[in-house]
Amino acid sequence: MTSPAAEKPARRLRLMRTPKSVDIDITDRCNLRCRYCYFFTSPADVKQDLPRDEWLRFFEELNRCAVTEVCLAGGEPFIREDLPDLIRGIVRNRMRFSILSNGTLITDDLAAFLASTGRCNYVQVSIDGSIPITHDSFRGQGTFYKAVEGIRTLQRNGVSAAVRVTIHRQNVRDLDNIARLLLEEIGLPSFSTNSAGYMGLCQKNTEQVQLSSEERYLAMTTLLKLVKKYEGRISAQAGPLAEGRDWLKMEKARREGLDSLPDRGYLTGCGCPFSKIAVRSDGVYVPCNMLSHIELGRINRDSLQDIWQNHPDLWKIRERRSKPLGDFEFCRGCLYLSYCTGNCPALAYALLGQVDHPSPDACLRKYLEEGGRLPEESPE
Amino acid sequence: MSEDKPTANPSVILREEFDDWAVLFDPDTAEGYALNPTGVLVWKQLDGKHTLEDIVKVVRESCEDVPEDVGQHAKDFVADLVKQGLAGYEVKG
Repeated sequence: MTSPAAEKPARRLRLMRTPKSVDIDITDRCNLRCRYCYFFTSPADVKQDLPRDEWLRFFEELNRCAVTEVCLAGGEPFIREDLPDLIRGIVRNRMRFSILSNGTLITDDLAAFLASTGRCNYVQVSIDGSIPITHDSFRGQGTFYKAVEGIRTLQRNGVSAAVRVTIHRQNVRDLDNIARLLLEEIGLPSFSTNSAGYMGLCQKNTEQVQLSSEERYLAMTTLLKLVKKYEGRISAQAGPLAEGRDWLKMEKARREGLDSLPDRGYLTGCGCPFSKIAVRSDGVYVPCNMLSHIELGRINRDSLQDIWQNHPDLWKIRERRSKPLGDFEFCRGCLYLSYCTGNCPALAYALLGQVDHPSPDACLRKYLEEGGRLPEESPE
Repeated sequence: MSEDKPTANPSVILREEFDDWAVLFDPDTAEGYALNPTGVLVWKQLDGKHTLEDIVKVVRESCEDVPEDVGQHAKDFVADLVKQGLAGYEVKG
């Protein structure tokens, strides 16, 4: 299949001159081995950390490219003893930053330092339960109290603490209590949710981790009810809450006989390659940390701007947007075809070995065929 | 540099995005400020070496259909940048 956009992408697809933000796996190391971690055993897990000076040099290029923000992940960023030096380099080069963390290594000194920079958007800590037994079930004993203390340490020092709840089989019945803990007891303004995707260590533990159709229904129903109760303070870009909202919208469009929904009916499930790029812990550019097998070049050797504007593999991912879902055998005959985005390309790759394909993971038709049910209409 | 020669705040990032439009991003406040192509041209002159008159001259030379009151437009624009903390004047002494 060849589309006009594929032949001359620059004419159809508008692209910023340089990425606005960069996701950086600042380390390959972590003090935990969560059983559904997308990172370990994935192509992102390259068993190599770059020395500080390589990153500092790279940050200078990001400054020249007018990148405004970096997100530090891994691995566990706080495991790097030189993290303050790296953050000083980010600040010196006119950027803001955020950090994705398991929360267990955050000290008062580090939190105070982050606050002192004035440039920290947030530190995101993973909390997967309201009590140790649910959180620790896949993250390791003792991690719940440490992670909660990490959040309190951030709050005490005036750093914006964000929380991500990954929903799995052990905590799907604990969601009410998790929301109460985070929003009422800890007093966070909001938190976000997702579910463990079929990547990295999750691939080995999928039976214990990934939700059945019935559990997915329970998660969607519970989260939609909690969103209403807490007036929108729970969000999601993927996982049961996002799916519940999206699938209800798709079902409504089908019932009303709409021709299509805006920006749907094609592989439009991911807009990331239009605004950001990622770097592995060994300094290799990749389109996304979850598409780390696609190597685009190396920092401090290849020009970021050149890769961003010209790399054919990056354009190939951007051009997914021009591929109609109707061209895929997987989607043939689907009643939701014109209302669907084809979902995450990284999950399509993880499940099928193909980036240019709809992902079966968030496929409404497949979910219904497997006995899944939609939650009640518009509980929000 | 002097009091009549405006200077861009060195912390502020100019992101040139689509069709010569741009955004000024202040990393200390996380706020953005949209610039049209003429605004971008003016911003690039804020080096502490050009007076407003110099800048207006550059605009007249580089742009088409320049309005007669471009001097006032430029003055207001730079004043707004200064008010937003995106530019300033060197303080003597």
